Amino acid sequence: MTAVEARGIAKRYRSLVAVRDLSFSVEPGEIVGVVGPNGAGKTTAIRVLTTILEPTRGTFSVAGVPAARPTEIRRLIGVLPESSGYPERQTGREFLTYHARLFGHSRPSARARADELLREVGLAERGSSLIGAYSRGMRQRLGIARALVNEPRVLFLDEPTLGLDPAGQRQILATIRRVVGERGATVLLSTHLLAEVEEICSRVLILNKGRLVADGTVAEVARRAGAPRSARLRVPSTETERAAAALSRAPVVEHAEVSGGQLGWLSLTLVEADGRAPDDLVRDALTALIDAGVPVLSFELEGARLSDAFLAMTEAG
Amino acid sequence: MAASEHAAPSPATPGWLVVVGQELRDLWVGGRGLLLTLAFSVLLSLIAYLVATNTDLNFLEQREAVGLVLQVTIAVGSLLALLAAADAVSGERERGTLENLLLTPVSRLELGVGKLLAALSLWFAALAVAVPYVWYLGRGVDVVDEALAAGIVVGTLLAVFLASLGLILSLFAASNRISLALGLFILLALYAPTQLPTSARRGWAGDLLLRINPLTAGEHYVGRILVDAHSWSEDLSWLVSPVLGAVLFAAAAIALSGRFIRLPGGFAR
Repeated sequence: MTAVEARGIAKRYRSLVAVRDLSFSVEPGEIVGVVGPNGAGKTTAIRVLTTILEPTRGTFSVAGVPAARPTEIRRLIGVLPESSGYPERQTGREFLTYHARLFGHSRPSARARADELLREVGLAERGSSLIGAYSRGMRQRLGIARALVNEPRVLFLDEPTLGLDPAGQRQILATIRRVVGERGATVLLSTHLLAEVEEICSRVLILNKGRLVADGTVAEVARRAGAPRSARLRVPSTETERAAAALSRAPVVEHAEVSGGQLGWLSLTLVEADGRAPDDLVRDALTALIDAGVPVLSFELEGARLSDAFLAMTEAG
Repeated sequence: MAASEHAAPSPATPGWLVVVGQELRDLWVGGRGLLLTLAFSVLLSLIAYLVATNTDLNFLEQREAVGLVLQVTIAVGSLLALLAAADAVSGERERGTLENLLLTPVSRLELGVGKLLAALSLWFAALAVAVPYVWYLGRGVDVVDEALAAGIVVGTLLAVFLASLGLILSLFAASNRISLALGLFILLALYAPTQLPTSARRGWAGDLLLRINPLTAGEHYVGRILVDAHSWSEDLSWLVSPVLGAVLFAAAAIALSGRFIRLPGGFAR
């Protein structure tokens, strides 16, 4: 049984087509990143799959339950909506208790569930504070706790780190990774931060202008983008010439030169991957330098990252 | 903790009851319910003081004084219920809190019922506040029981009618400012006939105007019982529009909630 299956989903708002012909499936336990530029249709797609919006066309199932049974789907999913609002005059504990009760918990069981979730997302100390006094990061963690209130089989997280500083982003990602690891739930993570996807997702879907333009592992998508495979590296300035010569002899290097006339900096172009993993090409290039006795101070691969694929696919679209 | 420990239990309490409980808490604990009721009690104190002073001077009969306090209570109490209901859905939509509610298995219809009942609590609070004033002004003329019974029946009918109207506006309004403004405008329009000169209210057209409007018909009925000392059955025809207004609008509000408590373009289930 697939965790999520979408078949030809389209969503139109009057003349605006937000999502068109979206088809994909997600296996249980996968963490799938949904990325795309602003207006790509990520939030609309998630709202359709979470039964908040009705698709104009197409059908889907979540946790094996068809779209025709939305109430049943809602029992099995957890959702952190994008830019969700929270009742300012409720405490975090009260908010979670209320939602646990809406999912059928008795009052004592709902309270216990709320306390457990507050501990899990690191808000136990602030559970009795009004949500109005929470920081943005605390609200996001509360939202994640809310999404977990019914022990969901499939978790939809829409921009969980939006508007957070790097420390806050790291904290949220760690929370997601921990709770997902402990529960083994399937996750669809919508984000515009590609580093997040590279860090925690096993698979990525790229949306552009409402269409699915890429679907695969991060490495597969990066390779499929056909982005230029170049790298920039730094060696001691006295070793520049020797490094350039060693790289020129390496079979995986198509071209190597001193970068911008700066001693110590070299730009190189790797050969076509031809089925080989990007990591193998990098390893061979670095081995050539090490074999020549040239110390490598830094090495940055350009054109094999998700960001390059993302730009190539979304700008072309 | 093991996942199975909290595996989705079967509903212990109906969803609408859980919603009513939380809405009442939001309204009365730290919300604006207490403040509005306090403001109403200050207004009622002022009116009761003026009315009592006039009674001492024999400018106003005791029955008229009780009738006036009750009519103010019905007007203000049902206004508060209207305002609370008019904010119920459009306010949640505007504050971004609706989506989390829609993501629960509780039906939209239950959400509507819960919000409607919570809004009506403001009317019952206003009635409770009015009890001592009615008792004080009506002592000695055997009108207190009658006044409270008339207040409960007519006031509840009008509060249900107006709260349902407020909820319907809230379902369709793009913002809660629009639903509140529309609600107030409609309320003022419904009360406008009470400001017509007596001559304009005579004849079949004037009579019809008062009878088809639940607010004027209800207040007229209360006046007949309390001021003119008519029996309850004597003017029952004046209760037709308040009863119809309450039943039809409540049914419409609940039925429409099931379909229209949603985000724009949203699922209707």
